[in-house]
Amino acid sequence: MVSDTTSRPLKTDEMIINMGPQHPATHGVLRMVLTLDGEIVTHAEAVIGHLHRAQEWQGQNRTWFQYQALIDRVDYLSGMFTSWALARSAEVLDGCEVPERAEFLRVIVSEMNRITSHLLWLGTYLIDLGAMFGFPFYPFREREKLLDLFEEIAGQRMMFNYIRIGGVQRDPKPDWFTRLRAFTKEFPDRVDEYEAIVTENPIFLKRTKGIGILPLELAMDYGVTGPSLRASGNNLDLRKTKPYSIYPKLEFKVHTLDKPEGGDTWDRYILRIRELRESTEIIKQCLDMIPEGPIMNKKQIAGMRVKAGEGFSAVESPRGTLGCYIISDGSDKPFRFRWRNPSFCNLAVVGEMLVGSPIADIMAIFGSVDVILPDVDR
Amino acid sequence: MIPNAPEIGKLLFIICFWICAIFLPVWLVSWAVGVLLPMLLEQGSPSMAMTATAETLRALTPIISVMVFIPINAMFMVLYERRALALFTVRLGPNRVGPDGLLQTAADAVKLLFKEDITPRGADAFMFTLAPIIFFAPSIFGALPLLAAITNNHSLYQITNLPTGIFYILAAASLPVVALVMAGWSSNNKYSLVGGLRAAAQAISYEIPLVLSLVTVCLMAGSLDVVKIAQQQDGGILNWNIAGGGALRGLDKAIQTKLGVETTPLITPQQSSDPTETPVAAPTTFEEVIHQYYPFEFLSYISAGVLIFCSFILLGLYLTGACAEINRIPFDLPEAESELVSGYNTEYSGIKFAIFFLAEFTNLFIVSSIATVMFLGGGDNPIPQWLLNKMPLEPIQKSLGAILSPFINGLHLIDPDTFWAAFWVIFKVYTFVFIAILIRGTLPRFRIDQLMDFGWKRLVPLSLIAFLVVVFARVLVVCHG
Repeated sequence: MVSDTTSRPLKTDEMIINMGPQHPATHGVLRMVLTLDGEIVTHAEAVIGHLHRAQEWQGQNRTWFQYQALIDRVDYLSGMFTSWALARSAEVLDGCEVPERAEFLRVIVSEMNRITSHLLWLGTYLIDLGAMFGFPFYPFREREKLLDLFEEIAGQRMMFNYIRIGGVQRDPKPDWFTRLRAFTKEFPDRVDEYEAIVTENPIFLKRTKGIGILPLELAMDYGVTGPSLRASGNNLDLRKTKPYSIYPKLEFKVHTLDKPEGGDTWDRYILRIRELRESTEIIKQCLDMIPEGPIMNKKQIAGMRVKAGEGFSAVESPRGTLGCYIISDGSDKPFRFRWRNPSFCNLAVVGEMLVGSPIADIMAIFGSVDVILPDVDR
Repeated sequence: MIPNAPEIGKLLFIICFWICAIFLPVWLVSWAVGVLLPMLLEQGSPSMAMTATAETLRALTPIISVMVFIPINAMFMVLYERRALALFTVRLGPNRVGPDGLLQTAADAVKLLFKEDITPRGADAFMFTLAPIIFFAPSIFGALPLLAAITNNHSLYQITNLPTGIFYILAAASLPVVALVMAGWSSNNKYSLVGGLRAAAQAISYEIPLVLSLVTVCLMAGSLDVVKIAQQQDGGILNWNIAGGGALRGLDKAIQTKLGVETTPLITPQQSSDPTETPVAAPTTFEEVIHQYYPFEFLSYISAGVLIFCSFILLGLYLTGACAEINRIPFDLPEAESELVSGYNTEYSGIKFAIFFLAEFTNLFIVSSIATVMFLGGGDNPIPQWLLNKMPLEPIQKSLGAILSPFINGLHLIDPDTFWAAFWVIFKVYTFVFIAILIRGTLPRFRIDQLMDFGWKRLVPLSLIAFLVVVFARVLVVCHG
């Protein structure tokens, strides 16, 4: 009997774990079905839809004016970009010109929003890595300042409803610009502070270097966009590759990392850090160049109409290409809506990236892609 | 200019307030049980039964004072940790309950006591209930030998003194792991199970460097008795084990001789009880003392330096191992929140969770006190004796003595030696706790395989090398007698 048990190979079984939807680290309500061999993931599947709110259907059943206020909720960390995508598509349809000052304001607020979104990502990503208490609050300190500025121009800190079809909602006071300029002056120092704590931290390097490698081929197959794609070596950034608004007038760099084997989680981290600095530069330029003038070209009334036709436009959100496709029949309600959300495509590839990594790396990889669950489920 | 000076001030205020709040009840209880009640019993009718009861009460004093001390102390440490973390992370921390948040943890404790105590379906109810108890019990019993060490072998606490105290403490300190595995297994939850098994693996690999570093300290001290180790280090920072395990004792003595200071102690009267030290034929000059303690001249100086370096390495090894032993960041894998929800205590709620929580902080306190006793001289004040004697402390001491003497002589209310020892112990322990909090506020978490790599490939060889180096270096210097 004894020899029998020793000669037989150890019987092992794969374990299936449901990670989420009630898990403290899944950034909302995502459910991951993980097949584990010991602590190694052999198969991972993201089950989405817990946050589905039928955003597109809601758009078709609301007037243009009402839907503008709702659309910030799609990606709650970068509401400016969703508003902007909607406004741009409607403007393409309508053919209405946007005043130049409004364009500048749009670029300023959306780059500010990119900074807040990346800052929140930075804090929560360190929580994903297990730095539960210390560092995560430093990015929030700076984010708070930007949110105060948002509150002043839009009345809200996260759901702005600031970028409207035909322009922007309010003209900021001169004091607002001064405060923003002061922020852009001190912010690079703060980023240096973050880097001093995080970038060369040996435990951080150990946890992020060489894990969650996303090859460029795979990324392009899945339609990954944004920093995750740029960290893998492609320079797709709609601000440069398909310039819109006043971006052609501005001088800025699209950061990519030349990684033939694909970017790892550390690359995605460092890319976002660089984007933080780049966005600050863009804001500085805009503050210098912004002209005087009107800010709105279309009357914001409840019965606002958009001319009939089809329109598509995309903006570069902090998570990637955010597209909005609209069919309008000329009434006060849109006829058909379709969103192209970056988080949806970015999440799809996570399942492939997780295979072969231990259970402890799941959140390090998942967090590094920066997925916003309402943006996935809409 | 420090930008957050008010917050630091508030933190210091909290510390002062709570240390008083910890000490008063503990001191009162131990005085009542150990001094007052036996005295009253023996005064009445000196019968056999009464004397026996009085003796039992005296013997129970250490246990009772630990039982009173641990919950209050853990409550303070939670608040301390939260406020200190808030300070590190530009937040305010709890500041609403009571004056400036001082009663926050009391409120939390009450909340936890009144929560529903849930045993999940499919859980092994017996083991599930037993696990927190087994987790908590060693932290009480393991602390006992330390009591004798940190109160300078006070007569009430002598009973807890063991000749092989450090073995007992280490044995008690490794028991909680069993409870973690029990908790993980009996919860009937996959995350808990992984957490419990991780705890076991981690404890096994990190206990080796931890124990090796303490063994090396015992080797330096030449004893396994924590009381003896603590008493050897009396007489200022140069005698502590952190300063080479007594490698600087010769220097200390030489300076003393040069300054012509009498070696009568002022605050800590316990002289080293080592008999080998007394027959030293009173060398009179600086050079003679130096030669007596460092007999091989240059080689001895070198090895004294090596010993000092090694003892810092040992302290680092000990703190790393201790961090892993009590599952604190960066080694908090058994309860890694972003991976395992909450690890072994995922399914616990109410009072059982409170006990886990309490025991975690108590363990932190205990590993810090072990470090204090083994490396920082226990209840010894850091100022060297010769410097202390130069200070104009005489009038203060005298006036204090005049005030306190009725109490001391009459009711044994305050014992100055024990008081100062306790003061310095608390000061040193909370310094270690502060370091632990600082680490928690700074570092991310290791991954489990990296943790094992770090433990087995770095710490274990390093501790072995330190052990060997100390073995050879110690021969060349006269350390503790």
